[in-house]
Amino acid sequence: MKKNDNNKLIDNTAEDEFNLEKMEKETEEMLKLRFLTKENSVFARTEGGFVSLKIGDEFYKRVLVYRVFPFTNPEGYISIREPDEKAKEIGIIKDLRNDVTKETREMLEEQMRLRYFTPVIEKIIDIKDEYGFAYFDVVTDHGPCRFTIHMGGSSVVYLSDTRLMITDLDGNRFEIPDITHLSAHELRKLDLFL
Amino acid sequence: MRGSLVFTALSEENIMDIKKKLPNGVLKFLSGYQVKSEDIITYANTDMTLEGEFARGYIILTQNKLIILRSEPDKSEVYQFKGYGSKNELDIRSEKKWAAKYISIKEIDRLEVIRSISGGVLYYSEKKEGLESGPDIQLASFTNMMIGAVLHIVKLFSILKEKGELTEDSIKMEEKEEYCPKCGSMYPDKERKICPKCMDKKSIFLRILLYFKPFIPKIIIMILCYIVTAGLNLIWPYMSGKILYDKILSQNAEFLESLGIPGINYIIALGLVVLVMFLTRITIQVLGIIQGVMTATIVPKVIMKMKSQVFQTMGELSISFFNSRQTGGLMTRVLRDAERVTGFFIDGIPYLIINIFTIIATAIVMFQMNWKLALAALIFVPIIFTISFKMMPKLWHFYGRRHRAERSMNSRLNDNLTGARVVKAFGQQDSELKRFDKNNQRVRSAEMSLVNFDNKFFALYVIFENIAMIMVWGFGSYLLLNQSHMELGILITFTGYVQQLNGPLDFMSYAFRWFSDSMNSAQRMFEIIDAIPEIREKPDAVRMNTMEGNIELKDVTFGYEPHKPVLKKINLKIEAGKMLGIVGRSGAGKSTLVNLISRLYDPQEGEIYIDGINIKDIAFKDLRRNVAMVSQDTYIFMGTVAENIAYANPEASFDKIVEAAVLASAHDFICKMPEGYDTVIGSAGRNLSGGEKQRISIARAILADPKILILDEATASVDTETEKAIQASINFLVKDRTTISIAHRLSTLRDADRLVVIDNGEITEEGTHNELVEQKGVYYKLKELQTKALAMRGID
Ligand SMILES: Nc1ncnc2c1ncn2[C@@H]1O[C@H](COP(=O)(O)OP(=O)(O)O)[C@@H](O)[C@H]1O
Ligand SMILES: [Mg+2]
Repeated sequence: MKKNDNNKLIDNTAEDEFNLEKMEKETEEMLKLRFLTKENSVFARTEGGFVSLKIGDEFYKRVLVYRVFPFTNPEGYISIREPDEKAKEIGIIKDLRNDVTKETREMLEEQMRLRYFTPVIEKIIDIKDEYGFAYFDVVTDHGPCRFTIHMGGSSVVYLSDTRLMITDLDGNRFEIPDITHLSAHELRKLDLFL
Repeated sequence: MRGSLVFTALSEENIMDIKKKLPNGVLKFLSGYQVKSEDIITYANTDMTLEGEFARGYIILTQNKLIILRSEPDKSEVYQFKGYGSKNELDIRSEKKWAAKYISIKEIDRLEVIRSISGGVLYYSEKKEGLESGPDIQLASFTNMMIGAVLHIVKLFSILKEKGELTEDSIKMEEKEEYCPKCGSMYPDKERKICPKCMDKKSIFLRILLYFKPFIPKIIIMILCYIVTAGLNLIWPYMSGKILYDKILSQNAEFLESLGIPGINYIIALGLVVLVMFLTRITIQVLGIIQGVMTATIVPKVIMKMKSQVFQTMGELSISFFNSRQTGGLMTRVLRDAERVTGFFIDGIPYLIINIFTIIATAIVMFQMNWKLALAALIFVPIIFTISFKMMPKLWHFYGRRHRAERSMNSRLNDNLTGARVVKAFGQQDSELKRFDKNNQRVRSAEMSLVNFDNKFFALYVIFENIAMIMVWGFGSYLLLNQSHMELGILITFTGYVQQLNGPLDFMSYAFRWFSDSMNSAQRMFEIIDAIPEIREKPDAVRMNTMEGNIELKDVTFGYEPHKPVLKKINLKIEAGKMLGIVGRSGAGKSTLVNLISRLYDPQEGEIYIDGINIKDIAFKDLRRNVAMVSQDTYIFMGTVAENIAYANPEASFDKIVEAAVLASAHDFICKMPEGYDTVIGSAGRNLSGGEKQRISIARAILADPKILILDEATASVDTETEKAIQASINFLVKDRTTISIAHRLSTLRDADRLVVIDNGEITEEGTHNELVEQKGVYYKLKELQTKALAMRGID
């Protein structure tokens, strides 16, 4: 049998008696987005470094914070989810800038900082391409990094005409927000991928 | 109950290992807190703070504590990720200031990792009185590079908690990374022990030479031909210059005497010279023909061997290899690469040898005739070669770039061809065209910069050749006028030689480019040949002519990406001849499970047995023959309907093919097509509907007559009526076979002997239909839902 989820106080487990009405309600719920605002929800920092959420009489000891459009709209459509594996959606914050308080916004951004950790490449020192792999030696906003990518696959992706996302062998991400800001010298190194 | 934890003693060796790896500074720091190094079970590096900055840290599991060490973020330190760095420089400056957190293992209720995009966060919750545990508390954060080791600690912790002790086997973790023994740098892919840094262009070159090894005698003949040709090439200017002008036309009696021609007859001498010149030409032609014949026998064989090697590995490679690469025209690309490689070796290298030989021999002769003039003519040769060598990496780079641009254009093209209908349906032709144009421009700009570079290269050689000619004429005339022993014939011979050098030099300029292109192709080809298939047949694989069809899964854990399990500890037993139904919501892992049974992937943990034999030990041939799958995404390849049906058994008779099609209720629609069973279907051929494809794949399975049949939503894309027909053929098909059937519609699974419900990668319910209905679980809910939904719609 499934482990009972111990992070959730309200009970809506599937094991109880079959009830068509309830199921239809669930389905209906699934088809609707619930928008969270400062009026209907209260976020709070937990002592363990996470964030909790209270909506009316629902309380979640810990929630997951996902971006729905991580690249194109990082501050809009923030999806708040339950912390178990199914990560069922609790609600969506449509606009982080206006719909919630400044404190809430800060604490949610803190949560997302780890999830979307992506060093921004500020300087390219060297790129060597050898036998199907490319070795990057760069300086990022988090300090100097050296990483390796596959030449073959889709390790280098254009998010826009000028924005590059680079994924290393382990799936770590690095970003070049605007290639036009690179020097001619750096561009020449990156030439392989342009 | 969990109060006393028992540990097996760590062996001496293990302790040594830990000491060796954990830096001394860290060990010293720990000893200040009464943590002895022999208490340490294992540890993991971390590389981030909880605020999302890079910083070194450790997670250390000891006999009774979990210790988290953190240092301050240090932006001056270089962070190296997978594939970078060597063994020697691996360990970190350990003189850092550490902040430490100690947690007694007894106090920990849960220890888990939350995965993020580029790594994860370790957190725990404390044990509390009563049912509830304390709040979740973040402990450490790290990038993907470290996540394997962290998850290992989490696993050890859970074993500890459950069993109270750890065995040495469980402590041991696979060596995390492997390093090139030669240069000590980390292999980017430890399965494929190839060090990109040591695998330089020279070794690629030598590797290609190996393909020519079986042809050594022929190659020796070829080389002899080259040498003789080159030698004869030298005679020509000598004859037409020095001999003709200085000896015969200037009526040098001494010379004629030395030839032993009686009576100093110049006509005879002239005739003789002409004859020698004529014979020289003829011989060169004949040698050329011999070379041609040799080439024609060697080249096709070498190309064939390369191609078949490439295709062999490609066939063995599992799907994930192709997932990680753009497949745009992979086949054509490989073929073209093989041709480029051999092209250089067969057409290029011989001429290269001839030309180098010609250049050297010419130089020697020139120096012997008149070293001053020779120096004037040849002084630029070493310079130009040095420049060429220096330019090689650039050329290499340009060829690589052009190749990548081409490939991404091809894959875009492929996408558009296969998705043409979608593109049109959504009216996206224009935007697709724009996107294609962008790719196209990339190819063009890559090609342009290559051509530009090429032109510079070529211009360099032409300029040099002209300078050399002017030097010889100028300097030669000067010598002629000022020095008595300089003869006109020598000057003419010299200009002849310089002119003759133009050919080889032009060729050399081309050879450098050719070499770069061909090595570039070779590298890509070897990349594929070297790729080790994840699914490999054991060398001493067990042959199983007949199978009964008992299947057993033991603690099977599997995920498409490491550390992200899709299936968790699945245990399952299916008796021969029985039918198992699998139910679960989409994404639960049903298809994944059957993919493992047909060994498209291997489980990361646990084993799968057929008739008690581990499927990893069964010969591919027997496994493929005995396990057939009708899946939700049917694979129709380019060919006739008959060929598609007879896929597993190409020799099948017409009778068998038609019989199989009838049983799959496919016969009817096949007959209605104008070309019947000979209709070409697949990518370029006639398009079939989803249901038609599915019926063809069922016919394929019927014809294959497997012992184990897997139906993965085999009737997902057909209407109710056809489903009834197919259901009938499936009912026929499952007789005397072990059947695993995945279906959304529970009515399809009516005849199943047993059912399992999979949710989130775990088996949550198991039993017969009646048992599951009694359990009133997910299955019951599904069943009620379906019958009520049907009742409401008035069906059934
Ligand atoms: N080739 C793949 N690479 C990565 N993830 C995959 C792949 N195939 C399936 N998955 C993921 O594995 C999970 C289980 O998929 P699957 O077994 O196909 O589910 P289903 O029960 O619907 O057949 C899904 O979350 C899916 O996204
Ligand atoms: Mg599926």
